[in-house]
Amino acid sequence: MVVGEFTESADLVVIGGGPGGYVAAIRAAQLGRQVTLVERESVGGVCLNVGCIPSKAVISVADEYHRLQEAGSRGIRVASASVDMSGVQQFKAQVVGKLTGGVKELLRANGVTVMEAEARFVDPHHVRVVSEYESKKIEFRHAILATGSRPRNLDSVPLDGHVVLGSTELLALDRVPRHLVVVGGGYIGLELGTAFRKLGSEVTVVEALGSLLSGTDAGLVRHVSRQLNHLGITVHLNTRVESLAIQNGEATLTVSGETGDFAVSADSVLVTVGRVPNTDGLDLAEAGIELDERGLVRVDQRLRTTNPDVAAIGDITPGPMLAHKASYQGKVAAESLAGQPSAQDALVVPAVIFTDPEIATVGMSESQAREAGYEPVTGRFSFQANGRALSLGHARGEALVVADKTTGQLLGVHVAGPEASSLIAEGGLALELGATLEDLALTIHAHPTLPETLMEAAEAALGRPIHSVVRTR
Amino acid sequence: MAAYEWKLPDVGEGIHEAEIMQWLVAEGDEVAPDQPILQIQTDKAVVDIPSPTAGRVAKILAQEGELVRVGTVVIVFDSASGSSAAVAPEPEPAVSPSSPALPVSAEKQVAGRRALATPAVRKLARELHVDIQQVHGSGERGRVLAEDVRAYAAGDSRPKQVPGPSAATPRPRSVQPLAEEIRVPLRGTRRAIAEHMVRSKYTAPHVTNMDEVEVEALVAMRQQMKETAGEQGIKLTYLPFIIKAVIAALKQFPYLNSSLDDDTKEIVLKPYYHIGIAVDDPDGLVVPVIRNADQKSLLELAREIQDLTDRAHAHRLTREELGGSTFTITNFGSFGGLFATPVINYPEVAIFGTGRIQKRALVVGEDDRIVARQVMSVCLTFDHRVVDGGTAGRFTNLIMRYLHQPANLFLEMS
Repeated sequence: MVVGEFTESADLVVIGGGPGGYVAAIRAAQLGRQVTLVERESVGGVCLNVGCIPSKAVISVADEYHRLQEAGSRGIRVASASVDMSGVQQFKAQVVGKLTGGVKELLRANGVTVMEAEARFVDPHHVRVVSEYESKKIEFRHAILATGSRPRNLDSVPLDGHVVLGSTELLALDRVPRHLVVVGGGYIGLELGTAFRKLGSEVTVVEALGSLLSGTDAGLVRHVSRQLNHLGITVHLNTRVESLAIQNGEATLTVSGETGDFAVSADSVLVTVGRVPNTDGLDLAEAGIELDERGLVRVDQRLRTTNPDVAAIGDITPGPMLAHKASYQGKVAAESLAGQPSAQDALVVPAVIFTDPEIATVGMSESQAREAGYEPVTGRFSFQANGRALSLGHARGEALVVADKTTGQLLGVHVAGPEASSLIAEGGLALELGATLEDLALTIHAHPTLPETLMEAAEAALGRPIHSVVRTR
Repeated sequence: MAAYEWKLPDVGEGIHEAEIMQWLVAEGDEVAPDQPILQIQTDKAVVDIPSPTAGRVAKILAQEGELVRVGTVVIVFDSASGSSAAVAPEPEPAVSPSSPALPVSAEKQVAGRRALATPAVRKLARELHVDIQQVHGSGERGRVLAEDVRAYAAGDSRPKQVPGPSAATPRPRSVQPLAEEIRVPLRGTRRAIAEHMVRSKYTAPHVTNMDEVEVEALVAMRQQMKETAGEQGIKLTYLPFIIKAVIAALKQFPYLNSSLDDDTKEIVLKPYYHIGIAVDDPDGLVVPVIRNADQKSLLELAREIQDLTDRAHAHRLTREELGGSTFTITNFGSFGGLFATPVINYPEVAIFGTGRIQKRALVVGEDDRIVARQVMSVCLTFDHRVVDGGTAGRFTNLIMRYLHQPANLFLEMS
């Protein structure tokens, strides 16, 4: 029960404790600010608690199990192997617990006050913070808005938490669904669909658009589509869910596609049709914080909103909804509000997708480079010709580099293949440092390793690959 | 669409060839009439050439860095006007003396492209309040280095330059020794200077005489006037006084304000006094000209010097501001030099140089007292074909008299 309202004052209030907010809070504390972090659920946000991290734990387990099924070809005879989902959940909880515990400890050690509460603006320099136990007003000098995003709902397929699930509920399942229908062939749908297929579910993907992983280069997606097919995942493109009926824990979806309407039944349905920014329920207008035409918070290069004492970072700002973008912005915002000349000026934001094979991209694609006025040159190299990939038994995919023909300057690096998510780091560094194809080609890459493919792709772009044949026209 | 072959126009009197500095358009680009398409370097100035037509750039025939003769086809347009002939009529001179082409701003040249710099250098730029897009990158591919940012912040605010071979000999950078020989193409301003100097030295037999003049009165007078000038925002240096002293002497020695016409074997005496002032620029020496300097007041001269110098550093001088002088003054003292043997700004017949002003021990009076006085060293290099040592000496002495007793300059004022 709310007894009364007190007004406290704070130097800096960070609203939201995800990978954007907690990083901003720590950096601000390092700069001598008195920081109050307001988080309505768990510190670590979606990413650590129910997103990137737990999904990677489940995906890794699924991969490992799947590799055991195919281990005969590598000389391992497996008498029997089975999945115990409660054991998987324990492992997942351990990973999450370790990381969120670490974040809490870091916040504590940096002197950040953490409040488990919801915040909304009262005026340009006040938020009302409401928790289970109290309500108080905080007068702040500066604030950083880092409220993140949540899954988009589909009216035709409302979540019920038992049969129709979001990614959070699916990752918390203590059973392997018999038949999982994934509504939405974006990266979350494909990552989790693939993982549950490997854990033993029958999986059907229903995508409204004409391609999977829309927005990702079709050449890279091809490698994933091929593997989905190999794994026995059914994919329906250009197909919409018209209606849903649930009876006795069994869902029946009526879908309409190019071939007409048909019904799909499943014991679990995963809905992943994008994410929406959490900009509602904050009374942003009271603080003079404006949204743009797409409903994202308008920010300048220093991440200040239209209220100069409030910065915004992460999924509620323009750009990709990615944790590492939010963390980068968190540091920029904290420094900028502390009077440092920091600005968001990173050239590129890498994107990684934990499908099979993984896809990772940084910088421009060939067509983007052409649109930007460059004359692009590309080079590719297949993991089929990479010693390490073959010895891992994981040689699907290719590495691709895009560069400016005149100067050789790298414009983009794209990988579909084993450990693509790690390989892309080299590409990001190369792009930020303005490296050329020659720089990449002349850097000695250890043998036998996966990153050699990037060096080979650069050499291919220069017309002189060692381990692939240059086709003459 | 008709093909429009466009020839390099005559951009000024006596220019037979020009160097293609930078194309501002690429093949396939759509251009509008008067849109700058090309920067060329003539013997002294960089000139922007506007597009003569609307249409699409079909082919670029001259490479950046290439020396091209006037009248050579350098670019072909697919002209928007379907009626034009396959070969365009002889174009008008693109740059007429009365309408200097507008310089293209640095922003325009780099529109859309981020400066090539590492994240750490970009951060440094923010810390030093430098817009990195404006910084001239000295690294390969125009890469902006930390030292470029620091130099820019320290006031070397040269606008971003055209990429490609540098117009000037690279300035020695910090203390890093060169690992190997570097061959820098002789291009642009550096090449123009080289050719000009060779022509002067090989044509005119140079003789230099040197002297010293006590300038206590001049120092005091300038000190006094400096404040008044400063109130009007004008930086009053010694140069306006020197110009006045030189002109006063030139009026009595007309042969020093002349040139030798080699073809007709005639000495051309000039009735006007256009004074060239040698300006040091990181990209090389330029000599902007103050026209009719005899008709201008000290303040007017000071203001004009300031303007010309600023624009010389910004590479914003027009061709006619860089030519037509009748006599040149060089202030080598501004780099601390005491004596020098300046090279004549051919086809002029003499150049007056001033060294640094400093206190020196002089022997004065009947009783041979040694006193400390402000002394300026001066020199005159003259073309011995036109001027003899006696004339040159008397001319120098007269200038020195005016510098010693600057009040006498008022007697000369018209």
